[in-house]
Amino acid sequence: MTAYPIELTTRDGEQIRFDCAEDQNLIDAAAAVDIILPSQCKQGGCGACHAHATAGDYLLGEHSPDALPKDGGHGSLLMCRTYPRSALSIAAPFDHNRVLFQAIPRREAEIAELAAIGENTVRLVLQLLPDADDSRAAQFEPGQFMELELPGGDLKRAYSLANNGNWEGRLEFLIRLQPNGRFSTFLKEQAKTGDKLMVRGPQGAFGLEETGLRPRWFVAGGTGLAPMLSMLRRMAEWQEPHEARLFFGVNREEELFALDELEELKAALPQLRVEICVWKPGDAWQGYAGTPVDALRRDLAEAKTTPDIYLCGPPALIDFAETAARELGVGEEQIFSERFLPS
Amino acid sequence: MFCYQCEQTQRSANGDGCSSAKGNCGKDAVTSDLQDLLVHAAKGIAQYAARARALGAPDNEAGGFVLYALFTTLTNVNFNATRFVTLLQQAAQVRDRVKARYEEAARAQGLTPETLTGAADWQPAADMDGLLMQATEVGIKAGLEQVGEDIVGLRSLILYGLKGVCAYAHHAHVLGGESDAVYAGVESALDFLATNPADMNALLERAMALGQLNLQVMEMLDGANTGTFGAPEPSAVRVTPVKGKAILVSGHDLKDLVNLLEQTKDTGINIYTHGEMLPAHGYPKLKAYPHLAGNYGGAWQDQQTEFADFPGAILMTSNCIIEPRPQYRQRIFTAGPVGWPGVRHIADGNFAPVIEAAKALPGFKEDVAEKTITVGFGHDAVLGVADKVIDAVKAGAIRHFFLIGGCDGAAPGRNYYTEFAEKAPQDSVILTLGCNKYRFNQHDFGDIGGIPRLLDIGQCNDSYSAIKIATALAGAFECGVNDLPLSLIVSWFEQKAAAVLLTLLSLGIRNIRLGPTLPAFLTPALVQALVDQFGLQPITDAQSDIDAALMRQAA
Repeated sequence: MTAYPIELTTRDGEQIRFDCAEDQNLIDAAAAVDIILPSQCKQGGCGACHAHATAGDYLLGEHSPDALPKDGGHGSLLMCRTYPRSALSIAAPFDHNRVLFQAIPRREAEIAELAAIGENTVRLVLQLLPDADDSRAAQFEPGQFMELELPGGDLKRAYSLANNGNWEGRLEFLIRLQPNGRFSTFLKEQAKTGDKLMVRGPQGAFGLEETGLRPRWFVAGGTGLAPMLSMLRRMAEWQEPHEARLFFGVNREEELFALDELEELKAALPQLRVEICVWKPGDAWQGYAGTPVDALRRDLAEAKTTPDIYLCGPPALIDFAETAARELGVGEEQIFSERFLPS
Repeated sequence: MFCYQCEQTQRSANGDGCSSAKGNCGKDAVTSDLQDLLVHAAKGIAQYAARARALGAPDNEAGGFVLYALFTTLTNVNFNATRFVTLLQQAAQVRDRVKARYEEAARAQGLTPETLTGAADWQPAADMDGLLMQATEVGIKAGLEQVGEDIVGLRSLILYGLKGVCAYAHHAHVLGGESDAVYAGVESALDFLATNPADMNALLERAMALGQLNLQVMEMLDGANTGTFGAPEPSAVRVTPVKGKAILVSGHDLKDLVNLLEQTKDTGINIYTHGEMLPAHGYPKLKAYPHLAGNYGGAWQDQQTEFADFPGAILMTSNCIIEPRPQYRQRIFTAGPVGWPGVRHIADGNFAPVIEAAKALPGFKEDVAEKTITVGFGHDAVLGVADKVIDAVKAGAIRHFFLIGGCDGAAPGRNYYTEFAEKAPQDSVILTLGCNKYRFNQHDFGDIGGIPRLLDIGQCNDSYSAIKIATALAGAFECGVNDLPLSLIVSWFEQKAAAVLLTLLSLGIRNIRLGPTLPAFLTPALVQALVDQFGLQPITDAQSDIDAALMRQAA
């Protein structure tokens, strides 16, 4: 089988080289030589490994159209579904420090808390068990995710972390229960405090950009709030001075969750403004009626300084928000996103 | 960005200097540009501060801010653009305060205050994009077309030397070491640079004055260190780990170290030094802490692998940080002038988060067989046995002294220093300081009549000790330093080394061997001037340079 040289250039200009056979995708080929590139579902469904080919030929395998930006431009690809047909040059949208040059840690954890927090949404808190070095430490960057694996190993799902790295070993997730979803069914019908499962991570390149005091605006749809909570909690913990706004949207009021946490955040981060957006509210709703993209568009039109914009939620929300941001003058390098797809 | 302040600067046929999206040190263009702007802002503060001081209204608080601000712009110190935006806003506030102080002092004396322009008149833009636009006007090569490369190179030599001076002065400052003369000297140098000087002789004269200023600073720092922690004494340092929870402390800041030692007393956590913190083990008041367990690892450029392998928390107290790898990004902390985006910074000396991390991390699981090296040969220790040393020289047992000191780095060619130390003849003594010593400090050099052949003087911050030892020996032999059987083999990496080099030159010390390369900001004409005036020479190969040094002595 022919193998081709792959040259991947990270956003900060570092180069990573590895070989990839015709029948191998880029993520697997890199992993075979202990280069762990940011990715998530590895099935062409989530968009976490989106990148651009700048030179060379490739075959883009089957994937969800929602996993690629609508206007991603020429060469837009998913590395988990890219099979080379020549030497390839890839421009990656993440920095070198988000590439792991060792196997992704796999740890045992137990359920410490599982509670319904909104219509079809649960908070899952896991407690890491001591690892081989007798450490419980949960070390991750805000915005990253963990892959959760049920005993038996045949059921895995990736969820963003909602809390911050900590030395007690606590991992917090906000999970939308999908009708008939296997993991959702497990959570709804079987899971209980003390149950063991495996976590693999941290993974992912979505996270806070540290390029100065530019305002940070966060747009979250549904449980896309989880990584935003993590980033805002980091900002609060470190008392970062950036002006911050959160646009958090759901379809109906009943779907709202984590409102107490948002109030706590506002108290800890006085410069944070939160806009709760309900697309189809009931008559009693007194907040913003519309999508978070509508609210984003409204505020961007009046912004004196273009902010960095962080997006997390369903693909349609990401696409609409990106379009709105570009139309209102936000540079491509100031827009960061992570797509959530049902699983 | 354009930056050529350190030894690892990008070299190319089209000109030397890091000018792409990211420098070789890892500093991105935004941070680099903001650092240029902070230097500009510091000039503005100094313009008013110098005038206020001349009128008897000094502002040493502003002086302290300038020291700190310039320290953050050294290579491998602060990479956090956010911090620089904040510092720029603070700089404008400090400048406005000093300006008001100057104008009040002038009016009080019946004078009309000067209306200053340029840096003194700078107003920070309201947002990031505006700041970056402002930075384009004040980079290191501003005015190049008018004055040429030689003048820009000399301005750079002064600026970079001044950054080193400020770093050393800041180290003294945190231990309570302060001097009106030092603040005045820093303000004067920045005020001079703010005029965009273009007179070659005036620039050279200023460079030598800066060398003398640095000598004062080094003396002040020596006094602050020894006054606080006692005079270093020869001490064995364990370089293998012991079982237990652990914190690794890197950088140069002894105050951060002692604070951490105090805060970890009786916790069972062992403290290890890394890099330039190694000489801490020679200070009586630091080595008295039983949990200052030893030294781990080598010089700064190895930190990415060594920190990844260290099973505890890591504290970086000053230069030289390089990009933290994901494996230890959550458990490395910065303090003082250091910063890295996404790395937790401890600004108040309360290291509780570091201690909490260390407790949660595994620490060393086993003892490793004990191995030690010896440090602590500061000027008191060496001059305490001066009679013995002088007798050994007179008896011919010691033929030559080699001072092999300065910074280490990752560039090819630095094995020269290893070879030099190992090939130095058996009847020579090697003095060393700075992190360059990690290239040879675990080698067994033996002794000459009980005098160790390798004498570790300390950090680069302890360069004053080397100067004091050299001048004391010259006094004992009733000759000049240049007449001693002493050769200086200096490795440079960044701006502290530039300051020390200026000091050595200003003392008239000749024939220094400098490497592994010459600074990119020194043009061929400037190098020639230094060769002509001071006999400064680039390193060649170790054996040839040893032979040349011994031959010159014989001649």
